[in-house]
Amino acid sequence: MKIDNHLIGRRAFLRGAGACIPLPLFQLSGSDRKTVRQRPRRFMTLFKPNGVHPPSWNVSGGSEFDFRLSPLMKPFEKHKQDVLILDNIGDFGFSSHASSTRRFLSGHHSNKRSASMDQLIADRIKGDTLHRSLELTTEGLFPNQIGCSYISYDKNGAPIPRESDPQLIFDRLFRNPLSNPTRRKEMKSVLDRVLEDARSLDRKLGGEDRRTLSHFLEVVRESEKRLEGLKENQRQLKLPTMNRPPLAGNLDDQVESMLDMIVLALWTDSTRCVTYMLGNSNSRMIFDFLGIREQHHYLSHFFRNFSRSNLESLLKISRWHMEKFDSLLTRLKSKREGDGTLLDHTLVMYGSGMGHSDNHTVTRIPMVLAGGKGMIRTGRYVRYDKNQELGRLHLALLQKFGVDIDSFARSEEPLPGLEHSDYQPYREREFASFVRADGDKITVQGRIRMSDNLDEAKIFFVDIMGQPSVRVEVGFGDFHRFNLAYHCGTGVILKGTGAKKGSQYIIKKVTEIKSLFGEAPGTLNG
Amino acid sequence: MERRNHRGFGNPSGGYPLLFLFSFMGYFRLLWAAVFILVAFGNPAFSQDNGLDPSKPVFKRFAEQVQPLLTRYCVHCHGEDESHADIDFGEISRTGQVADSFEVWKQSLQQIETGTMPPEDQPQPSPEEKEVVYNWYEELISSADPGPAAFQPRRLSVQEFRNTLRSVIGFDLEVAVVEAEQTVTEKSMVVKLLPVDPPGESGFKNDTHRNPLTLVAWDQYGKLVDAALEELFSESRRMMLEKWTGHLSAKGMTSEQAAGMLKAFIEKAWRRPVDTKDFNRRLIRMEASEGQWVDRLKTELKTVLLSPAFLYRGMRMPLQPGKRHPVDNFELAERLSYFVWSDMPDAELFQKALDGALAKPEVLERQLDRMLKSPRARALSEIFALEWLTLDEIEKLSNNPPQMVALKSQPLDFLNYLFRENRPLLEMIDSDVAFANPFTSRFYGNDSKQMKRYVKQRGIEVEIVPNQKIRLVETKERGGILTMPGVLSMNRGPILRGTWVLERILGEELPEPPPNVGNVPGNPKGRELSFRQRFEMHRSKQSCAVCHDRIDPLGFAFEGFNAGGNYVLRDFQPTKKEKKRGVTGKVVDKIDTSGQLPSGEKFNGIVELKTLLTTTQRRKVITHFVEKTMSFALCRKLGLHDQPTVRRIAGQMDRAKGSWRDLFLEIVNSSQFRETRSH
Repeated sequence: MKIDNHLIGRRAFLRGAGACIPLPLFQLSGSDRKTVRQRPRRFMTLFKPNGVHPPSWNVSGGSEFDFRLSPLMKPFEKHKQDVLILDNIGDFGFSSHASSTRRFLSGHHSNKRSASMDQLIADRIKGDTLHRSLELTTEGLFPNQIGCSYISYDKNGAPIPRESDPQLIFDRLFRNPLSNPTRRKEMKSVLDRVLEDARSLDRKLGGEDRRTLSHFLEVVRESEKRLEGLKENQRQLKLPTMNRPPLAGNLDDQVESMLDMIVLALWTDSTRCVTYMLGNSNSRMIFDFLGIREQHHYLSHFFRNFSRSNLESLLKISRWHMEKFDSLLTRLKSKREGDGTLLDHTLVMYGSGMGHSDNHTVTRIPMVLAGGKGMIRTGRYVRYDKNQELGRLHLALLQKFGVDIDSFARSEEPLPGLEHSDYQPYREREFASFVRADGDKITVQGRIRMSDNLDEAKIFFVDIMGQPSVRVEVGFGDFHRFNLAYHCGTGVILKGTGAKKGSQYIIKKVTEIKSLFGEAPGTLNG
Repeated sequence: MERRNHRGFGNPSGGYPLLFLFSFMGYFRLLWAAVFILVAFGNPAFSQDNGLDPSKPVFKRFAEQVQPLLTRYCVHCHGEDESHADIDFGEISRTGQVADSFEVWKQSLQQIETGTMPPEDQPQPSPEEKEVVYNWYEELISSADPGPAAFQPRRLSVQEFRNTLRSVIGFDLEVAVVEAEQTVTEKSMVVKLLPVDPPGESGFKNDTHRNPLTLVAWDQYGKLVDAALEELFSESRRMMLEKWTGHLSAKGMTSEQAAGMLKAFIEKAWRRPVDTKDFNRRLIRMEASEGQWVDRLKTELKTVLLSPAFLYRGMRMPLQPGKRHPVDNFELAERLSYFVWSDMPDAELFQKALDGALAKPEVLERQLDRMLKSPRARALSEIFALEWLTLDEIEKLSNNPPQMVALKSQPLDFLNYLFRENRPLLEMIDSDVAFANPFTSRFYGNDSKQMKRYVKQRGIEVEIVPNQKIRLVETKERGGILTMPGVLSMNRGPILRGTWVLERILGEELPEPPPNVGNVPGNPKGRELSFRQRFEMHRSKQSCAVCHDRIDPLGFAFEGFNAGGNYVLRDFQPTKKEKKRGVTGKVVDKIDTSGQLPSGEKFNGIVELKTLLTTTQRRKVITHFVEKTMSFALCRKLGLHDQPTVRRIAGQMDRAKGSWRDLFLEIVNSSQFRETRSH
């Protein structure tokens, strides 16, 4: 009998884990081996609320294999080779929070009578897992527009209740006596004691108290009997001293614990499909643990409620969202499975319902896929020539998971480009780039982008072929007046005053900025 | 047959019922059916125990004088063949439930008094005949012996379980969920996990007598107790744990520490001193078990929290078989704290019980006053008043939580003020104090100028804003609970408003409307009729008139308020939404707000209605207040044997212009509250 390699790996890891969370062991019976060898495929999605600030999210220029991560992507830079960044996803000019959230996994907001794609995938891949899928969130319901609170919908199109508490998820997954014999034994002994104690309570009187006590004993006995009658589960988990996650002190603790639970759930093959919302789509959470006192939704309208400090706060929150994505990928990668990692066997979809969080456009929505070896090819930046229906992406993923389906929502054609370069890439008009100086007057033409360091939201760079980028520092008064952020990722001609420092030009005062091909800010809808 | 089996539980041998149970286990479903049958059809042991001797003359008089009248005027509609409104007078007489049916008599008298029964087209009793029935009913009540109901242990309600568990372990068991403005979250793990309590016979959820323990609830108790102990023994609660055990060294818990904590924990969780024999048994068991002391202790603590002594009330109360006697001090402390706080006694109250001093009237009074001052007494408005006055209906008015909370917190803050600041009972009907916030200030005209200006913090789009207390000068019509915007809006239209006042304030009971009631008819061709006129046409139907003659004239008093709760007899400030619907906020005249009470007294408008309720109808209103409060305090429906007490307290409150606090004290001192009785 040959022992499966990856099992040794898992056991070895367990021993190494020492005082961290004690990890589960698989007890394999004959039939079990097969399912393990066939490596379960998993699907997991992480939803980011309130869209993004496009100037800091969008990739500036670049091509499929040669691109630079945007400032907001920096937190997960170390996973660059494990992610597939999709651009020009979404084809709506404007959308409400509720509709854009519905579309996130349902393809189109009018798709209200069928299951969201995660549920279709769950049905396909669930195998004999105890939990078909987990639907998770961080906050309560938003009754004013209930659609803001859900991404997963059942086969009738009804929203699936979500859970926010990592401890309750732990209980659901690992304290279930069905899967945990230790737990079963423990419960049995407590029940025996409760029965024994209750009997001693009997004060030998007739009447109501006797009747109530009898009924109580009845129920306890029944629960004991049910416990005894439990069939040993085929694929039994041995969880000797698993720790329940600690009490969450703030949102960050809560999310970190939940990510632990998710990874544990996937790794122990307790479930193969998880959806997790980092917040309602219009979340008004206050990120006090980041030192922010304004509501997230207010900040996400970064143009309507413009101020430097508001923008900095918004970017701090967005960066935190990205860090959680990074944290998820890191965790998934840390678990060995066979000749790869858990991430290899999990397709992760990270994104938001809308693109531009201030004017609610649903084009260029953030969409990053990760892991999913054999289904997608990572380490690439794929920008489609046209804005793509989200439904096409869903259809493509559904098919990759083996769901027998030829159309989803309103989309009939699966999105190409996920596994191969079989797509039409985005092409922009070519333009020359240069920098000219005349005394302290500097004129520069090139593609403008934000500084990678989001703490300095007032610093921009104009990229020029073959030369160091020109650094642009915007004064307080000019920040709003010239709105450099609006032009990020596109070609501009920018004039100002400044000096050369080493080989780099630095503009300290902007006097004019013009788009090479586009419109001036404020003249376009969206 | 099942019935007889159940009576078998009365066998006084300790082991017998359990043996019996084991043999019964296979028939679990059957047993459930039996429980159902008992509940549905009223086993004598379950029915109201009125304590009336069947040989009393009042029963003889019933047979001789009242029964013939029933046969003549009532039984052909309310008898065996036809039992309208589910009333069968024949059955009541046949089965000897005359005393138990006092509520039927009470309602019947109301109907006879207002002339709604017998119906117009039927033979009518003479004034002398009516007199016979009234007099008999009075005799029935006065022959009842006021006192406690037979003892019944009672499972803690969800709210009580939540509060009690928190008091024992020292912290609330919370769900990890971010509470952002405008979202609805359930922060309490207890409320989230336990099945919702149905209201009991009394209408209150603390009346759990007919809400038996189920397997589902049992499973959830198990999870909650696990979660509670897990957290108590976690690193983050170490300080809390050391309050029980003293300093815990790196070597872990000692056997002495485990034993000490077990003892203190049992005393607290079970709300009475530890029974030495019982404790020793547990101690021996703990010592005989294996593992770390901390783990052995945890197992024992779990059984303490899963014991009926924790989950139920009264399980360990000393009872003297076949006797009526005062409850012991610990039971008295519990009764008091669950009434005022919906929570277990605190240390001071427990100490008073331990000293044996609590039963002294002056000690009890001081404790009540102290407890009313405690923030925990907010439970009186949040639970008692909310359930009585159906204030949770306000939650359905708006899907915008800050708006909804504004409407709902107004009556709650107001009642909290009445209950805890020694305000007269009748201020509930009319008062010159109100509570408002920026969401509700528009209802209060210039009176809202008393409020401190609210400034939203930068970056806050919406948030829940606390209420401020204001004095009503210009908007006097707003005084009291009847005309608060949320209450007016949760009861839209004269019918719902009339019904609410009739049932919740005047304490009258209305039968369910017949199944075929239609809508109020539209305008007949070529005529413009007001809703009121159209409804009056509809009311000419006899089957509707029986109830609607009582409901509608009362409801029309509220015609000065539109569906949104605005007072339209003066210029008002409509909301944006209302403006869109064409509401201008200009004073509307030509509204007929005249009406009459079931007693026939006429009034014009809401102010006059409130005046009647607080003058001529005062006794009736106060009596209902007393009944409701007493029913909540006793966690049960009131019986005939409570009626003399209700009347005595109501009379006293009426004469002395009593306050809510005075009412609470009277109830706490009543024999129903202080005594018990066992079979």
